[in-house]
Amino acid sequence: MTLVRNWLASLPAYLWSGWGAIASLLLFLAAWEWASVHYGALILPDPRTAFATLAGLLADGSAGPELAATARRALTGFGLALVAGSLLGLAAGVSMTASMMSRPIVTVLIGTPPIAWLVLALLWFGAGDGTPVFTVFVACLPVVFVGAMQGARTLDGQLRDMARVFRLPPWMRFTDVVLPHVVSYLFPAWITALGISWKVVVMAELLASSDGVGAALAVSRSHLDTAATLAWISAVVGLLLAVEYLLLEPLKREVERWRVAT
Amino acid sequence: MLSFLRSGPIAPLFECGFRPFFLLTAASAVVALALWAAFFAVGLPLPATPGGPVVWHAHAMLYGFAMASVAGFVLTAIPEFTTTRAIDREPVFALLVLWLAGRLAFAAPSIPGAAIAAMLADTGLLAGLIVLVAPRLWRDPDRRHLSFLWALSALVVTTVGFHVEALAGADPLRWLLLTTGLLMALIVVAMSRISMRIVNAALEEAGETTIEYLARPPRRKLAIFCILLHAAAEFVAPGHPVSGWIALAAGAALLNLLNDWHVGRALLQRWALMLYLVYWFMAAGYAVMGIALLTDAPWVSAGRHLAMIGAMGLAIFAVLNIAGRVHAGFEPDRRIWVPVAITLIAGAALLRAAVGVGPVSAGFALAAASACWITAFGLHLVYHLPILTRARTDGQNGCAGLAED
Repeated sequence: MTLVRNWLASLPAYLWSGWGAIASLLLFLAAWEWASVHYGALILPDPRTAFATLAGLLADGSAGPELAATARRALTGFGLALVAGSLLGLAAGVSMTASMMSRPIVTVLIGTPPIAWLVLALLWFGAGDGTPVFTVFVACLPVVFVGAMQGARTLDGQLRDMARVFRLPPWMRFTDVVLPHVVSYLFPAWITALGISWKVVVMAELLASSDGVGAALAVSRSHLDTAATLAWISAVVGLLLAVEYLLLEPLKREVERWRVAT
Repeated sequence: MLSFLRSGPIAPLFECGFRPFFLLTAASAVVALALWAAFFAVGLPLPATPGGPVVWHAHAMLYGFAMASVAGFVLTAIPEFTTTRAIDREPVFALLVLWLAGRLAFAAPSIPGAAIAAMLADTGLLAGLIVLVAPRLWRDPDRRHLSFLWALSALVVTTVGFHVEALAGADPLRWLLLTTGLLMALIVVAMSRISMRIVNAALEEAGETTIEYLARPPRRKLAIFCILLHAAAEFVAPGHPVSGWIALAAGAALLNLLNDWHVGRALLQRWALMLYLVYWFMAAGYAVMGIALLTDAPWVSAGRHLAMIGAMGLAIFAVLNIAGRVHAGFEPDRRIWVPVAITLIAGAALLRAAVGVGPVSAGFALAAASACWITAFGLHLVYHLPILTRARTDGQNGCAGLAED
């Protein structure tokens, strides 16, 4: 509850600080505009055309279902990876042996390119929701796992001892000693994984699905419709920016406040 | 030969560099705009400058009004910032002659050689300022104020560019637009120095002890970068959508600057609020210019005037009323005419911006905006003519600040 209240209280100042990010993004759009003048509309349509196309897609109702399908797959895969990765990672972090054992496996998981997983998933799950969800899951899992494992491994033993000496009740020990530390490792990992999930789901859909943003991108590519391609890319990136900067980043700041407050 | 600078009836006017120049700033604000308004209202003929009446107006406001304030500010603030001794009366007088020569030469373009004389005078004023302050800025231990030197040097380039293009018979307006960009950047630089003092004084006055106002360099540099990039883009390709996006970025970067400013109720104090409004007007001006360029709306001039009247007008008014009083031995004015004048300048900016944007009669809006502007600076002139032309009465000399500082 305090978390939510603090989050709301710091929201105006946080949102205002977004002007700096907006300024950088607008400079990026200026560079895009310049490049589109340089290379011509066929190679790179200007940002206004891309946004107008996107607005058109949203207005005629064709963008909504595609975005919803993509969001559903990305968030399902991400949610599964978040739960499994956090739990397994924490469990591995508690035991030195388990972390030693799991490290090479994680390296294998991270090292396998998502496109390879996609091929396997196509063989296993066919052309349904299962393929993109699994690819997202397997791409996000090691990132979350490593974050959780490091969080658990680096927990300050002295703090734990102190909590024991002061006979903190187990629940308080968990919320005041373990949680703040672990979450400060988990949160960045979750945010990275969220970014990965959005990128991977579009790639998986492009090759494996008949709906979703990735499939729409495949269609616009076959029509040589660069404006629609950029419109879809803008939609995905815009959604990611919105989720990250409006939801996760303020939460992360609130969770990590103890770091600067010392 | 120049003994009248040190004794006699007009000697007090030369007690410190800002005095003659701030007087001319307010006077030229009134005169140059009255002529422009008369041109619009009754067709009063303006000097036949290359590029036509718009160039005349822009040049009069930039090189008459704004440059006088820049000269006054630089001559007073740089010695203070670098803790070096005040600038002598003779060089100030020489700069004054150059400023006046520039105005006269530009007002009478038909006289042979007037164009060359105008170029030499306008450039000479800026070059003279550089010669006077460059050693002080350079020898300052941390060289914290070098950005003033870069801004003045860049202004020399745009001034020469303007006059060369005018001499060649081409439309020199784009050089004036480049100059406005440089002045906007210079305002941001100068405001960061002024605001530290004003906002923290306001915080102190409000009894606030936990919050301190800091003008943070990274945010300022982003804003200056965007402003200069916009000026450069506009110079290279006028009216291009790329400069539209950059203008929007400049607007956002200026709003980003206000992060430092949200310090609570102290912001409502008149001087703090006035400086705060400068950034709002500048941000709004750039945003309107950007939107206009990207949607092909005819609002570019409206946006530019929001920035020029609202931001530059208010910033210069603030400098006249803060630095112009403190260095003459007077506290900043607490009387009611100050908020009235601030409101009039803000009103002038909004009225001028309404031309071509809202359903307002252009003639009425221009006349009303001119009246607001002329009244605001006229009020300043009435209240400050005695202060600037008479000797100090607080026991201090020259440019020194208030005794208790």
